[in-house]
Amino acid sequence: MSVAAGGGASKIELKQLTIYGIAGGILGIYLTSILNGALDTGYFAFLAGLGVIAAILMGSEAVRTVCAYGIGTGVPSIGLMAMGMGLVVALFGLSIGGIAGPIIGVVLAMAFGYLIGLIANKVIKMNIPVMEQTLMTLGGAGAITLTGLSVVIAGTIDYQLILETVINTGYIAVIFIAGTLAILHPFNANLGPDETQDRTLVHTISTGALAMFVAGLASLPVLGNGAGILTMLIAAIIWIWSFMWYFKLVKRDASGVLGTGLLPPGGM
Amino acid sequence: MDMVSMGLLAAMGALATVAGASEDLESDVGSQSNPNSQVQLAAQVGNPHRIYNKAVSGEPPSNALYAALAAVTASVLMSGYGMNAFFAIAIGAVVASLFNGIYSVTAYMGRNTSQARFNQYVYLDVLRTHTTTIMAHAYITVFCVVSISYIMTADWLPIQHPFPMPLVAFIWGLAIGAIGSSTGDVHYGAEREFQNYPFGSGLNAANSGDIVRKAEAGLRSSIDNAWFCAKFGGPATGMAFGLTVFLDNWRTTIFDPATQGWFAILTGVVIVILFNIYNRILEVRARKRYGPYPEYAGEIEA
Amino acid sequence: MIAFDANMVVYILEIVIGGLFVGVGVHFVPVGGAPAAMAQATGVGTGTVQLAAGSGLTGLLSAGLMMSVTDNMLMIVISGAVGAMIMMDATMIVGNWVYIYGVGVPPVSAKTDYDPITKDPQPPYISPGTVGHGIPTVSYVSGTIGGLLGGAGGSLIYYSLMNINENPGLSGFFAIGIFVVNAVLASYNIQGTIEGFHDPKFKRVPKAVQACAAASLIIGIIAVLITGGV
Repeated sequence: MSVAAGGGASKIELKQLTIYGIAGGILGIYLTSILNGALDTGYFAFLAGLGVIAAILMGSEAVRTVCAYGIGTGVPSIGLMAMGMGLVVALFGLSIGGIAGPIIGVVLAMAFGYLIGLIANKVIKMNIPVMEQTLMTLGGAGAITLTGLSVVIAGTIDYQLILETVINTGYIAVIFIAGTLAILHPFNANLGPDETQDRTLVHTISTGALAMFVAGLASLPVLGNGAGILTMLIAAIIWIWSFMWYFKLVKRDASGVLGTGLLPPGGM
Repeated sequence: MDMVSMGLLAAMGALATVAGASEDLESDVGSQSNPNSQVQLAAQVGNPHRIYNKAVSGEPPSNALYAALAAVTASVLMSGYGMNAFFAIAIGAVVASLFNGIYSVTAYMGRNTSQARFNQYVYLDVLRTHTTTIMAHAYITVFCVVSISYIMTADWLPIQHPFPMPLVAFIWGLAIGAIGSSTGDVHYGAEREFQNYPFGSGLNAANSGDIVRKAEAGLRSSIDNAWFCAKFGGPATGMAFGLTVFLDNWRTTIFDPATQGWFAILTGVVIVILFNIYNRILEVRARKRYGPYPEYAGEIEA
Repeated sequence: MIAFDANMVVYILEIVIGGLFVGVGVHFVPVGGAPAAMAQATGVGTGTVQLAAGSGLTGLLSAGLMMSVTDNMLMIVISGAVGAMIMMDATMIVGNWVYIYGVGVPPVSAKTDYDPITKDPQPPYISPGTVGHGIPTVSYVSGTIGGLLGGAGGSLIYYSLMNINENPGLSGFFAIGIFVVNAVLASYNIQGTIEGFHDPKFKRVPKAVQACAAASLIIGIIAVLITGGV
């Protein structure tokens, strides 16, 4: 595309968001698992969803950073790559890790992302300075999104249960693609010379809430009506709040938000 | 091979054709995917417009999302609440088209806001009139794709594909997005967007960004573009997806894969060879009918 | 739990070969990107990963159906390849319909003076200001080969994973994940657009082979260690 990609300066650094994302994601997953196990219920699944939103924020900022360098094939490929890397590695971590499963999955995914970044720079000679760091962050974001949303559906980190309720039923398809779009849509939708970081990140909160809503919907037959509807309700509230904030930022940034009208003067 | 299988195959082919047509029209009303780069460029070269600038990541991932989402909703309703398949798929398609609406609206607002310096406004009436059209087309697409997936995986029907239904819907959604992006979008991008230039030429690089912004009466809207593309681009995309679904499943319906697998594969190879021959015939006819460009001043003989 | 035996090596090798097929197959598919959608460049008017994923995964569907009734590796892989080829060919034919009848341009390539297969002259038929349009015979044949390799690669990965964990849903997803990583690496190698095997960019295939082999090896080792449940 001959369009200038992303123009805004960053007020929040990628490193900060990475730490928040990983910490928030892992915390959410473990809180859900521990509280659900201790109280033998499914109602705390939404905490993992909140952690996933933090990880998606981290992924979206990584996409923003790497696409500013013009990788030549477009934004969707990098989102698909992130989730593809996260998918296999996250499930591996869960299957062998037992209680430490999510952490193993995330660490391995970040290592794998760093390796792919090295391959891209040294073998394919793309020579993009931030490639290793951003692909590492994207691998981590992909792994946390997949693990977290699977935990929202299944309620625990037990691998057999996740296999039965998320993979054999095919719900992982929608987790995969909703997570991919949640990470790559905000930057793609706000692409342009006047893109600003706060508007993109607020948009990310809303797409993350949509992914959480989808996981809540899929958890209805697994965790029961109460837990599923609670997750969906919290996701809907977060979406409404972030969408209204986003629209306020659109009105702040646009050259004109009109109810109706002709082209601007000079454009006819 | 029996009558039920052949009947189901015919139903799948018909559903696929309708799905392909409505998917292409949905991406034409929203100006999604590759032709959107010209819409994006238009504002930057001084041609602001009232076209719906829906930039949702490209058609394969977004159609995969809608199809997978509808399939998961239908699966939840069928397995958790025992709902009839028909109603479950319909409700799933409604949820998917609502998501489509949300993504489209935020994409339009985001892209136009990020071009503030070129004075590209955000028109709320464009959102109001076009978003519902986009959602309606997405509903048709998703309903047909999930119905195809259901027919392929239901355990009371003959095919019984081993993959779970949401995964089959995900794959068909990805395929229909790839097909729609490769075929029908060219009719929109190369012909309708640049109808002010004479028919019979590709887009000259010097004319990039000079899209049609004024209509027969008033300003060009994306619904006008869908009206035009429904005459050729939409049905052509439907044929492409219909051919893919039909031919792929026809081979395994007439030859039972367990006992006559090699015949099924041989049929596929013959079909591929026929396609290649047909392409050569098409190319020769086009070159003879259109002839070389009169402005060509080089040395190579036509 | 993790049980390492000689068969594992065969499975990992199959996954690596499958990944290589996918990576090399992406180089054969004629993709013109955004300019091709405006009849400004030769090839199909879409993105590399999108078309390769669409056709490869359609092949995966055919392979999945075949694998549920038989165990013959050759039959499954060829069935997947044929499924992908049919999708790729139908897409390119209809694409050519739109170029010829909808836009009014003959299929022609600007990267070569004479089509390598049909020996037709190309430059007199190129619209002024463009670098070719449509899908000429050499790109069409190249696309068919790309569909064959992509479908075969995806099916091979699926076959080897099914032998390990016997779970069609799990294997299907892993196959999609591995497919996507290889396809995106290959698309970084060609930087977005390529016309087929006659394009000068095709000479970069060895780099993609190294990159995809390394990535598939690591993912393969991880994937074979995941059990499919009892």
